[in-house]
Amino acid sequence: MTASASTTGTGPEAGPTEAGPTEAGPTEAASANRPNGPNRLTARELTLAYEDRTVVDGLDLEVPDGEVTVIVGPNACGKSTLLRALGRLLRPRGGAVLLDGTDLARIPTKRIAQSVGLLPQTPVAPEAITVADLVSRGRQPHQRWWQQWSEEDERAVTDAMERTDVTALADRPVDELSGGQRQRVWIAMALAQETDLLLLDEPTTYLDISHQVEVLDLVRQLNHERGRTVVAVLHDLNQAARYADHLIAMKGGGIVARGRPGDIVTADLVHEVFGLGSVVVPDPVTGSPLVVPGTPWRAREG
Amino acid sequence: MSATEGHSRTGVLTVRTGVRPAGYGLIRIKDRAEAKGENDGRGGGGGSFLLHRRSALVALGLALATAAVCVTYLCVGESFIAPGDAVKALLHTQWGLGPATPNDLVVGTLRLPRMTLGLLVGAAFGIAGALIQTVARNPLASPDIIGVSQGASAVTVGAMTYGVGSFAVLPYLSVLGGLAAAALVYVFAWRGGLQAARFVLIGIGFAVALRSVTHLFLTKGDYLVAQQAKVWMTGSLNGRGWGEAAPLGWALLVLLPGVLWAARAQRTVSMDDDTATALGVRLGRVRLGLVALGVVLASMATGAAGPVDFVALLAPQIARRMTRTAQIPLLCSALTGAFIVVTADLLARKLFAPTELPVGVLTAAVGAPYLIHLLLSSGGRGRKGGTAA
Repeated sequence: MTASASTTGTGPEAGPTEAGPTEAGPTEAASANRPNGPNRLTARELTLAYEDRTVVDGLDLEVPDGEVTVIVGPNACGKSTLLRALGRLLRPRGGAVLLDGTDLARIPTKRIAQSVGLLPQTPVAPEAITVADLVSRGRQPHQRWWQQWSEEDERAVTDAMERTDVTALADRPVDELSGGQRQRVWIAMALAQETDLLLLDEPTTYLDISHQVEVLDLVRQLNHERGRTVVAVLHDLNQAARYADHLIAMKGGGIVARGRPGDIVTADLVHEVFGLGSVVVPDPVTGSPLVVPGTPWRAREG
Repeated sequence: MSATEGHSRTGVLTVRTGVRPAGYGLIRIKDRAEAKGENDGRGGGGGSFLLHRRSALVALGLALATAAVCVTYLCVGESFIAPGDAVKALLHTQWGLGPATPNDLVVGTLRLPRMTLGLLVGAAFGIAGALIQTVARNPLASPDIIGVSQGASAVTVGAMTYGVGSFAVLPYLSVLGGLAAAALVYVFAWRGGLQAARFVLIGIGFAVALRSVTHLFLTKGDYLVAQQAKVWMTGSLNGRGWGEAAPLGWALLVLLPGVLWAARAQRTVSMDDDTATALGVRLGRVRLGLVALGVVLASMATGAAGPVDFVALLAPQIARRMTRTAQIPLLCSALTGAFIVVTADLLARKLFAPTELPVGVLTAAVGAPYLIHLLLSSGGRGRKGGTAA
């Protein structure tokens, strides 16, 4: 009884006190690095191709540390392909993606997974897996076969589930959840990985508008409170303009414009990238640029 | 998940309950620094192991059931031997304990070796099926469907027909045949990555082709040889014993570290490719390792007892339905396989006594309807999800 009491005493006490400073560390470091130091994730002369179809050709990219970068562009412009390459899911045909100055191809994939998290567009869960089990798999890169569960793992998973509001679903099988719930569970898994960089491929697809907003708010909150660098591919230009610190507009495998949404989103850009006539007005809520497409088709009167 | 968090501590080994993910127990082995409280929050140098509680219980249940069948197996046969006498004979013949009994020959020389072989073959098929099904993400992808058993059969029957090699070499030839067939399937299914559906379809194609090659050998060969080959091909434990069981047992022991690795690695490959890679898994290598291990096990089991149909397909699926885990449980698959083969062989010996059926006939008789059930229910799998019983 005494023995068990002492374990209970030291365990949880040691956990938070140790976890506290380590957690604050990267956050402070990230925000301190932001103005000066080189960005952690960059791409140089990146050429990406599937079989013999070149999708991206000679692209240079800097992902600003501690900011939310959103990539937008028409279908098949190479935005998801670029994101896959940033997360080493696609091996570049030419050039390289660099993490802390080292070519991703030369870093062990597990080491990458400790710094870069990625949520694919349509992830597939193992059949019949429960929510808590799936989220806890996000801890994979931090575990070894003889260290399958640490206090740190427990804390990270609990935290990720609370942030995404899926704690109540913990014991439910993932395949029984609604689309919105399921997406939150996947995001929880990516969060549990606790990486400084988080890549999200269209995280709001299949979600209704309130869940879309919820997910994007969550991303922003993480970025703000934890200093996480986020790169997301979004298809909604207005959401991109609302939530991005740094916006990248792509077309035909190249970058057409990059910068603060307020600086780059204009009717001309929308026309150039999407071939769409539009009016850009200030968003009544945030003041960010709001793209309003031109007059809808209507039958001629008379 | 549960609100209570209990600790029970023995020395430096702690067993904790109430952790995430739900349904798992945690076994911690603390190193000295950690035990003194110098915890760095990452679990230190000590070990921690997750144990799926339901799986542990199912494994225990299966072990007990298998033990019961084994005792029955030793007692039942042409002559019935009381369990007490069977155990006495076992003790005397195996460990030289106690006096000699009149049942020594029947129990120690006839029944025990055959039963042991059955256990080992079943376990090997169970693990092999679990591994290959995991990699292919398809319950149909078991070694007896994707051409491993057929490759082993073709080479073995070919060798029998043309009189190449003695009976002692046959098991090794069959291992070679299984490996070669699997390698071919893997190479043909590879297109910049392993596609599960492709893997299964190409495997089925190879299985059919190899089966016709086997039949070609059968028709070419001598009538007597063909008869022998037929029995081998159905999978039979009849007339087999330590000669086959010992090499298989040693091989399983040698492969044990690989199986332990696989049990952990399996967790990660059950995700889709992108997610697994994002989590830092070297997917190509892990998959190749799992498939190679599965194929070696299946080929060796085939070499020892012939292709005992459907065990590799059934055992993992049954085990998984019992444990309700997200991945196929290896230990439970092995136990289920062992249970199925020994039970089937017991029935094969007794059902039409004095005529003995090859054990493969019985496993096939149960397996075929189950296969149809799998095919019928797999359509609704995605929607039904975890509720599929």
